[in-house]
Amino acid sequence: MNLDTNKPFQLSTTYRLQWEEAQDKFVLLYPEGLVELNQSSAEILQLCNNTNHLADITVLLEKKFETSGLEDDICNFLNIALDNGWITQNA
Amino acid sequence: MAGSLKTPSPPRWLLAELTYSCPLQCPYCSNPVDYTNIGDELDTEEWKRVLKQSREMGAVQLGFSGGEPLIRKDLEELVQYSHQLGYYTNLITSGYKMTEARIIKLKQAGLDHIQISLQASSKELNDFLAGTKTFEEKKKTAKLIKKHGYPMVLCVVLHRQNIHQMEGILEMAIELGADFVELANTQYYGWALQNRDQLLPTQQQLQQAEAIAKTYQQSQQGNMKIYYVIPDYHESRPKACMNGWGTTFLTIAPDGQALPCHSARQLPNFDCPNIREHSISEIWNKSTAFNYFRGDDWMKEPCKSCADKDKDFGGCHCQAYLLTGDAKNADPVCGKSPHHKKIHIAIDQANKNSEQPLLFRNSKNSKSLAIQ
Repeated sequence: MNLDTNKPFQLSTTYRLQWEEAQDKFVLLYPEGLVELNQSSAEILQLCNNTNHLADITVLLEKKFETSGLEDDICNFLNIALDNGWITQNA
Repeated sequence: MAGSLKTPSPPRWLLAELTYSCPLQCPYCSNPVDYTNIGDELDTEEWKRVLKQSREMGAVQLGFSGGEPLIRKDLEELVQYSHQLGYYTNLITSGYKMTEARIIKLKQAGLDHIQISLQASSKELNDFLAGTKTFEEKKKTAKLIKKHGYPMVLCVVLHRQNIHQMEGILEMAIELGADFVELANTQYYGWALQNRDQLLPTQQQLQQAEAIAKTYQQSQQGNMKIYYVIPDYHESRPKACMNGWGTTFLTIAPDGQALPCHSARQLPNFDCPNIREHSISEIWNKSTAFNYFRGDDWMKEPCKSCADKDKDFGGCHCQAYLLTGDAKNADPVCGKSPHHKKIHIAIDQANKNSEQPLLFRNSKNSKSLAIQ
């Protein structure tokens, strides 16, 4: 699946993003499933709020981490997340 | 309680088997064959203690299962308590006798997801395998589950008696609006092992079924996720059972026995700890049972020197015990196991099409098996 740069991302309704104190990381929860997220994946998913497009997510994260050139990595992860059904662009 | 060398990873999954009671009689049930001998069920407060202590340790996925968990009158209370603790709550049910009022109450209590099982795609076969007339009602329940906005997993256990209905099963899943379909080939423990000759499919049946599942996986992409759980008897590499013993999964049986896998209580002299005597932290970190197969110090050959030992952890220890008499042997599914021929013998035996009737899971049969 290829993402649409003109549409915002949102977490799919069957998925829940949650901070887990005991594991010191974010996890993605869904029926009978659990994905333990690394920091960058969790940062991106937290910005999938039904408003942000690819460009917004890139700007926000580059600003937050005071760096540049993140778009390709973000784009790759968003495509994986779309393929797995974790996020959608249906709205 | 034995000491352990290092602190193990925390439990992430808690399976709460609330009861062994069930109105269905499926001949592949994963409950122990002698379930009628097993003592008093935990009460509400005991379950709450399990839920709280497990959550504190890191468990976040929670399955309420059984038997049939709907039989417990405190199910809503336990769901609500778990929801407040921050669990993702899954109800694993037959869906039989599940009223709309209860579906609504569970939703209000914070239940996140319902897995409903069907036995086949035709009424006759479903009701025969369940040993109870349930087909129409289960389908009605599935539609109500979707009506009330739950994500729904439809689970169908596959075996020789229903695997020819693969296409019908997947069409039924679409009709019912399932979000996920779990096509779970029977694993041969407990009741399923008793009925293995009648349940184990042929290689040809499996290949046909898998091809159909793959076609639907492609055509349903983005709508319905289809999981196909492989049948390990037809493999030559063993499954990484429980993602490694005592690394991820914690099962609490109806009587409070804590199990590293839900089949572990059939291992002889295993002495699984009970939550009535120990805290979850003691059980997880210090008990002999949970430390028994952690790491690889316990391994014999061919596992000890195997390049895959960190990938499959020697396979399933319960299967090794059931088929070879020693849980420390390699899972005989493994092509390197000196007992691997036992798997071929079982497949050949099943291919003879046994005339023996299925042994259904019910109290009468459980009592007679417990005596044996």
